[in-house]
Amino acid sequence: MDEKVPRSNIIETEIPMGTVHPAALEPYRVRFFVEDEIVQEAEITIGVNHRGIERIMEGLPVEKANALTEKICGICSNSHIWNSCRTAEIGLGIEIPERATYIRVIMGELERLHSHFLYLAHGCEVLSHETFSMRIFYLREIVMELLAMIGGNRVQYGCSVLGGVRPRCDVDEAKLLRLKNDMDAVEEGLTGFVERFLADSVVQSRITGVGALPHKQAIKLAVTGPTLRATGVARDLRTTMFEYDNFDFNVITQPDGDVRSNLVMRALESFESIKIIRQAIANIPEGKVVTRDWEMFDTDIIESYIEVPRGTLYHSYALESGRVRHCIIRTPSMANIGAMKYACIGEQLTDAQLCIVQCDPCFTCTDRAIEIIRR
Amino acid sequence: MGLKSFSRARAIHVMLVYTGGCNGCDIEIVNSILSPRFDAEQYNVFLTWNPREADVLVVTGPVTHLNRKPLEEIYKAIPNPKLVVAAGSCALMGGVYKNCYGDIPSEEIEGPVENIIPVDAKVPGCAVRPQDVLAGVVSLLPILLDAD
Amino acid sequence: MFSNVISNSIVIAAITVIVCFIISTLLPGIERKYIHARIQQRIGPILIAPGIMAPIKFMFKENVKVESPVPGLYKILPILCFIVVTCLIIALTPQAFAIPALSSLVAIVGLLKVEEICYVLMGALSKSVMSVRMPFPDQIKGAAHNNVTRSFVEDISSRRSLRMITYGSFPLYLALFAPITQARSIFLPDIVAYQQAHGPILFTVSGAIAAIVFFIGYMIILNEYPFSIIKAKSDVIEGPYMEYAAKYRAIVYLTRGFFMMVLGVLFSVLFLGIPPLITSWSFLINIVVALIFVFMMGIFSAFSPVFTNRQLLPTILGTTLLGVLAVVVGLL
Repeated sequence: MDEKVPRSNIIETEIPMGTVHPAALEPYRVRFFVEDEIVQEAEITIGVNHRGIERIMEGLPVEKANALTEKICGICSNSHIWNSCRTAEIGLGIEIPERATYIRVIMGELERLHSHFLYLAHGCEVLSHETFSMRIFYLREIVMELLAMIGGNRVQYGCSVLGGVRPRCDVDEAKLLRLKNDMDAVEEGLTGFVERFLADSVVQSRITGVGALPHKQAIKLAVTGPTLRATGVARDLRTTMFEYDNFDFNVITQPDGDVRSNLVMRALESFESIKIIRQAIANIPEGKVVTRDWEMFDTDIIESYIEVPRGTLYHSYALESGRVRHCIIRTPSMANIGAMKYACIGEQLTDAQLCIVQCDPCFTCTDRAIEIIRR
Repeated sequence: MGLKSFSRARAIHVMLVYTGGCNGCDIEIVNSILSPRFDAEQYNVFLTWNPREADVLVVTGPVTHLNRKPLEEIYKAIPNPKLVVAAGSCALMGGVYKNCYGDIPSEEIEGPVENIIPVDAKVPGCAVRPQDVLAGVVSLLPILLDAD
Repeated sequence: MFSNVISNSIVIAAITVIVCFIISTLLPGIERKYIHARIQQRIGPILIAPGIMAPIKFMFKENVKVESPVPGLYKILPILCFIVVTCLIIALTPQAFAIPALSSLVAIVGLLKVEEICYVLMGALSKSVMSVRMPFPDQIKGAAHNNVTRSFVEDISSRRSLRMITYGSFPLYLALFAPITQARSIFLPDIVAYQQAHGPILFTVSGAIAAIVFFIGYMIILNEYPFSIIKAKSDVIEGPYMEYAAKYRAIVYLTRGFFMMVLGVLFSVLFLGIPPLITSWSFLINIVVALIFVFMMGIFSAFSPVFTNRQLLPTILGTTLLGVLAVVVGLL
């Protein structure tokens, strides 16, 4: 199946939902065009929470701009500050200490864990399965406490700074030990959950085959991140990032691109994250966590791509006497909106919200981006 | 304590409206209600998504332009007595987004929430901690109990 | 003398109904605290919060103007539902067995149908702020399909309740008719008398199958997860109840608890032959049966997601076949 064809072109009525809706964790407007509860077309309106962060970043000193990028998103805040620092580091040629790289990776993977857990919990909540949702939230709390332990805050840790990580975020033996023990607890809890989840035939019948996204279509829509990997395309930017050179992990793929593949995909990827964190704990080198010997100079536009929990994140700006110019940020959800609209087609109305959720939307991230019209 | 205050203290329905923050506060609030670790229901705080059912409106975010009218409408739909909790620094003062254009008023940000609807309790934090949200909602109880 | 007997029996019936009502207000709390919260490993609300305190709180709220094309009718509907449920319990008391119009299964089925039709009307009349009326620039230049009719989420819920009337509540009604096949009468006094003579219908093959069917029908008619498509939180939010505020919402809350109790009592009348009578010890059995039903419903709803039409149809079809089987076995 390459392309989903709507069963008919009759549009009986339109059901708008949002901007405040129980199935959405963030404000967006979605209009479903349905025929007898079968969605024929969906229109997602974003821009509801446009705040203009890139505009605020323009002209700020780069250190301040880095701190500001965190406020783009409350879920993947660490990824934003990481990539923003990375952009400047690439441009200025800063060599960051090995230990700082490891801590960044630990933070990045912890964030991936909490983001994926949030995804699973939100997915179960949209399925109206309160019990599963609460179990995952309970597991997620362990990860949140670890993030708070390293970063000092539950959301928006401000871990990366230019040239390394904040000294506050350095990990000592006690922290590493707690990290190690909690990873065991998370793995145990998650294994139990996944077994229970896959064995539940009612839930399986509800999610199998729903919102399928064929992989040809996924590539055509330029879908990114786990949503793309769930359609069977093994594309993970972490394999090309120098930060992950010393780590051994698998790129998880799932065959179908439906809600089940997506949920299982996230769960399996969480195990890989746990694996990466364990390797980091075992091999973390000694040394300082931040290097201060670098010089600021003007640069051309610098670009940096990293893999964040939701896909590929792109930051780019130029530096002009230490200030940020021409800032552009492209978040993964921007690319996935097409997939969300596409996955809804031909599904029951109750499943349609699930189809949007399966692409892991983060419209607060997305809502400062400009639309690129390809002609 | 009369029956009115007695019953109000034992069933508080909370509605959450997100108005374009960074998602951090929203998730922490949902976390405080859905996570068994915090479990708002043990304080008889129930999450609802229907303004007609709500007593307390928890607002996060700096209220972007497109979110202003929905927020007003939802506030209007809640029957009295109603109270508003503004959670997170964006809701309290517009956060980092408020002064986007310096002295020129921003077209995007209508907030803070106080400019649009009356606020009864303010929960600071970026992002708010779940404990603080629960404390904020529960701290409104005296006002709620005395209202007619 | 004769009038004395009648007035006595009316007083007893009234006390029975009131006691049932008082017990019923605890049922939602029991479901929430002792089943859902325990399964979800948390403390949960206090017992009286969802069933008693929430309605009382709503009583004291300001009555707002309802957004509805026919506000009067919309406001009457929950009261009608409550009256219907009260009539149901009255019909089940042994004192009402003397009134032939009330004490037959036809009356029970009719009253249950009224309840279901109320959902359709409620859904059609509610125009909440959460969908079309949300002030958002939807129909602007460049938007898709600007000229399509727009539906509120409650309209969807209304259509779903119509669907539930046509096939969704089949299992419950089939289960109600299984006892008839054994007692050979549609009158409640005869069914009760038959069971007092021959033992409860529940312990026959036909009765046991019908009891299962009755339980599924019970969950369907109470709109509990997984059968709550007319008020699924993930799309229609609260469905027909969206616009009720203040005392009308209080009645909605009370009706739900009362309905749980009444259906439990209905089961004990039809399958155990024990009509609710406050003066007899057997009233405890009525309460226990209602509690068992609430417990089972709580466990089922905590472990299942909401069904869409795809799962609902096979489930209901299967249950209906089971119900037919029960009736056939009863007839043999």
